Parts: sequence; structure tokens; C-alpha cells
Amino acid sequence: MLLDLLSKKRIFTKVKAEDWYDVGRKVGEILLKDNLVEDRYIDAMIKSIEDNGPYIVVGEGIAVFHARPEDGVKETGMSLITLDSPVEFGHDNNDPVKIAFAFGSINNDQHVEAMSQLMTVLMEDGSVDKIYAKDTSSEVFDYINQIVNKNRQEKEGE
Amino acid sequence: MKILAVCGMGLGSSLMLKMGVEKVLKAEGIEGTVEVSDVSSAKGEKADVIVAAPEIAEQLEGHSARVITIKNMADKNEIKEKIMDYMS
Repeated sequence: MLLDLLSKKRIFTKVKAEDWYDVGRKVGEILLKDNLVEDRYIDAMIKSIEDNGPYIVVGEGIAVFHARPEDGVKETGMSLITLDSPVEFGHDNNDPVKIAFAFGSINNDQHVEAMSQLMTVLMEDGSVDKIYAKDTSSEVFDYINQIVNKNRQEKEGE
Repeated sequence: MKILAVCGMGLGSSLMLKMGVEKVLKAEGIEGTVEVSDVSSAKGEKADVIVAAPEIAEQLEGHSARVITIKNMADKNEIKEKIMDYMS
């Protein structure tokens, strides 16, 4: 589940970053600090953008960094930073980035349920700007939790 | 209808696209399955439709499937419009 992988201590708000490399480094270092990935995983996340372009900017203002399980993942987890000021990634449609996620998964399916919930959060109208406007990690966590719970109740009610 | 959601590695944005497309299919009552793939495997896979970000779609030019590019994966309306356009 999303908030098991993205715990409160893996959310940081108002992070200062110079460019997209710096964003990748900073959101990746949260995973590194929690011993979920090796240092080379962060390099691999960044290399993937160099190779394939900024398609990891999946929606307006949202970047989702990741590499492959074999690039040095020790444990499945996710991190989130909101940026002090938005950063250009060179994406035609979705720049500038305001919030950035990083995740590592030990295989191709352990993160699937969490990604589904993440998508629910990101598809909620105005959610990116609301997350971006929060001052503390607790407020971001509570807001995400609220959307996840609302959606779960709606599903159960079907 | 078989839809393939494709990204560079087949486990990040393709998964997010898959979920976005599934939500649209469900809301519109369209029958279809959505699978994920990385861009190099996708070249050898059969599907009716491929959905991908523009940079990835470029690499799939000439594929037998109809390739639909999605710029904003968090935008239900963009996904819906492009799927409905294919259906019509």
C-alpha cells in the first residue's frame, strides 16, 4: 500500500534544488538514507532520463524517478519531495516540476498496488497544487491518506 | 481490445498509464485488457493499441498497433479523449 512504502519520514517539503539532476539526487537520497537502495540506484534513475528523455514527468508538475530492481534495490520503498521553487525538466507539456517521487521495487510487482493508489492521488483534481502548497511532511501525508481512504470507501461502496 | 502501456523500463510510468487507461475503460464501459511493457519488448509484442509518453511513442514508430501518445498521465480527460477517438 502506498503509505506503507511512502512513510511520513520519507516525505520532505520545500526542498531547494538547482536543476533536474539535483531533484533526482535529493529525492533518491531519502531512499539511500533509509538503506532501501544502493548509491548506484540514484545514478541509474538519472541515466534513464538521459537515455529516454524527461518522460518521467508523468503529469503537470509531477516527476516520478525510478530505475530497475537490478540497479541496486535492497527493499521496496518510495520517497516524495515538494520543491521550494519549481524546476524545469525540459518536458514539452508538464513543466515545471513541483513535486517529485522516487521509488525502488525489488521486483516487477511489489509496488503495483502502491502505484495504483499513487495514480488515484495524482488523478484527483488539483491534488498536485494542494500537495505543493503544504508546509510540512505531516500535512502532505495526511492529505494523501485522506484521498486514499476516500477512494477505498468509494470502492467498497460499489 | 488489447492495450499495451509502454515506458522505458516497463514498471513505472507504464504502470501509471495502465491504471489511468483502466479507469477510463471502466468508466466508459469499454471491454479491454491493459498490459505493461518496456519499450524494447513492446517492439515484438502484438496489441491493438499502444499508449505511451511522446518520447517513448517515437521509438515505436512503424509498430503494427495504433500508437496513442499521452502527454499528461494524470489527466483523465486526455486519456479518455484519445481512447474514444480511437474507438470512433
